[in-house]
Amino acid sequence: MTDKSPETAPDPYVSKIDRRTALTWIGVVGAATAAAAAGVVVYGPKSGGAEAKGYGTDPKLNPPVKAPWPRIMSHDQLQTAAILADHILPATATASSASALGVPDFVNEWVSAPYPDQLKDRPIILEGLNAIARDVMGKDAGKRAAALAALPGQAFFKRFRALTIGAYYTTEAGFKDVGYIGNVARAADPGPSDEVKAVLERELQKLGL
Amino acid sequence: MATEPYDVIIVGSGAGGGMSAYHLTKSGLKVLMLEAGRHYDPVKETPMFNINAEAPLRGASTPDKPFGFYDATVDGGWEVPNEPYTVAEGSEPFIWWRPRMLGGRTNHWGRIALRFGELDFKPYSRDGLGYDWPITYDDLAPWYDKTEKLIGVSGAAPARGLLNTPDSPPGCLMESAPPRAFEIFYERAFRAMGIPVIPMHGAVVTGQMEGRNTCVFATPCGRGCAIGANFQSTTVLLPPAMATGNLTITTDALVYQVDLDKAGKAKGVTYVNRKTGEHHSVTARSVVLAAGSGETARILLNSKSASFPNGLCNTEGMVGRYLMDSVGTGVSGQFASLEGLPPTNDDGQGTQHTYVPWWGYEKQKALGFARGYHIEIGGGRRMPSMGLAGIIPDDETSVGDALRQKLRNRYGSVISFDGRGEMIPNDDCYCEIDPTAKDKWGIPVLRFHWKWGEHETNQAAHAVKTFLEVIDKLGGTPEPNVETDGRKAISKGGEMIHEIGTVRMGHNEKDSVVNQYGQSWAVPNLFVMDGAVMVSSPDKNPTLSILALAWRSADNMATFAKQGAI
Repeated sequence: MTDKSPETAPDPYVSKIDRRTALTWIGVVGAATAAAAAGVVVYGPKSGGAEAKGYGTDPKLNPPVKAPWPRIMSHDQLQTAAILADHILPATATASSASALGVPDFVNEWVSAPYPDQLKDRPIILEGLNAIARDVMGKDAGKRAAALAALPGQAFFKRFRALTIGAYYTTEAGFKDVGYIGNVARAADPGPSDEVKAVLERELQKLGL
Repeated sequence: MATEPYDVIIVGSGAGGGMSAYHLTKSGLKVLMLEAGRHYDPVKETPMFNINAEAPLRGASTPDKPFGFYDATVDGGWEVPNEPYTVAEGSEPFIWWRPRMLGGRTNHWGRIALRFGELDFKPYSRDGLGYDWPITYDDLAPWYDKTEKLIGVSGAAPARGLLNTPDSPPGCLMESAPPRAFEIFYERAFRAMGIPVIPMHGAVVTGQMEGRNTCVFATPCGRGCAIGANFQSTTVLLPPAMATGNLTITTDALVYQVDLDKAGKAKGVTYVNRKTGEHHSVTARSVVLAAGSGETARILLNSKSASFPNGLCNTEGMVGRYLMDSVGTGVSGQFASLEGLPPTNDDGQGTQHTYVPWWGYEKQKALGFARGYHIEIGGGRRMPSMGLAGIIPDDETSVGDALRQKLRNRYGSVISFDGRGEMIPNDDCYCEIDPTAKDKWGIPVLRFHWKWGEHETNQAAHAVKTFLEVIDKLGGTPEPNVETDGRKAISKGGEMIHEIGTVRMGHNEKDSVVNQYGQSWAVPNLFVMDGAVMVSSPDKNPTLSILALAWRSADNMATFAKQGAI
């Protein structure tokens, strides 16, 4: 979130999805329109009808296919998701903000998916975003802060935060922030360092083991 | 590539089919392999270093990919499109995992490669429950040696002589990668309880091995391995079999019937092409079924004739009977002692580096259940997934720096304990042909019946109690709402994907469907070389034993063939 001054609305979120990909979804949805100004793509809500198709039981894994279903979040929902995601994981001196890593687009991918877990999340996330959209997107920083402060404890917040955490930390930047240093080819596995073993030993002694 | 006339048709290309093809083609026999799934090339198709951010839904599991997007399984899972199965009314739940791909389940399996022990082959003699195998550990031991040397198995350690936990002879195994931090940690609790922790036997090439690449100690084995450093039929068995020039593989061929000649011998099989819907019959001098326990039983039961009105080899009503799975249980805990550990690379060799073999053989009476379980223990700083938020408590609501710090701190501090235990075969667990349900091509499907026995549910309760005790000793917090009632804590039938025993081997045609070499009593040129032949379901994961049994049976069959006996 960018609270530059109390009377400024947050910077608009610019989707990280390229326009060509987005147009393929719109082709599927048909009725939706694209506002393509300054590279910002806005998606209209899905026009009802049957649920979109998933990626099937034999999707291409290498390289992995992109999620093929049309996205359903509205402009306001996407913008609200960006503000909330950056409230949960703002930029730090060493780490990117959630929106810089495309987390709002991922939330859109998630709630648009035709699978049971995601369909369960869809109303929780979309209604939750709708409920705070006006307050967090407006120029009144006080209202924005109050809306965000009221969220903890809500089912919506819990799910949205879990999605934000999952989306953020499954990226290379997230790996760096959380301290995952694997996924590199090695000639051998030397096991944990002496430093790690020394910490373990101290802890085990405390436990009487 | 072999051409007609074939000596052998092998149905299935997984552990059993792959191993029998490997040996029979090397013995000079011309083999046609029929695989129900599509062709699969692990070199090109395996997503080795891809991260979850590149995958739809960050790789999260869906009904299309139940073990996550990157899992190697093609066209499969708990449901296969167009290929239903049913569970009988009144039955406990049963679920059936099937892939539809060359190499079958060997592409995604857990790579845990434990030998069955001496007691495992003679369970009835030990405690009067279940049934004895027609072979002993010593009969299979040389084939375990050969199999381990062929597929590449880690876990070498000085011989311990633990009861019913065989030490492989020197030269069979490579050394495991060293224990990860959490493996060092949990070992101390078990040690305090007098329970041994030993190197896991994993089907991963951890050292130098002729003709094989060494593991790169990164990327999960369940995705498959493009460099063939772990065992898959498609990287280890089928390429050398193809190189003999004696193997032809036909994919998308769903076999549903064994065809007999007038003399009552197998003359071939009939299959439907899953893509075109066309039916084909192919012939050979002999037939090997290795389609997986369920599918193998289904083929036999659907092969009805005047001589076998209830299904081939089913005159005694034993096909589909003695269906077993492993007893599955699991509890995870979070450990303050592991919080804030300096970053360390826990990717390791894919499998667990250590595990806990069953330790209670001599006190089973007091324990209230007859057979044991081993413990598979997962944890460490593995590649983050969509489940990462689960490492912070449910009621925790921090954001910003506090949240980042909490995640950094608790990342890698969760350990999961999973029991995999023996099930005693019982009369309530079997599969049969559903009287009405059919698949897309009109072929009758399986109907499953399932009921865990008290030995299994008591074992599950014991496992949960043990896990809670270990978590407590390590100062941990167990996951919320742990189920301690064994009847509720136990896995569903089939859920461990170790379903075996529908076409068991035995001493004669009254007690079994096939002999100790997988040769059917009723049709001498019909063989079964998958997990269907198993007589008991020891806690040890079955794949290594399926491979060793298939090799032993194929060797016997090749000898017959040389003598002109099939």
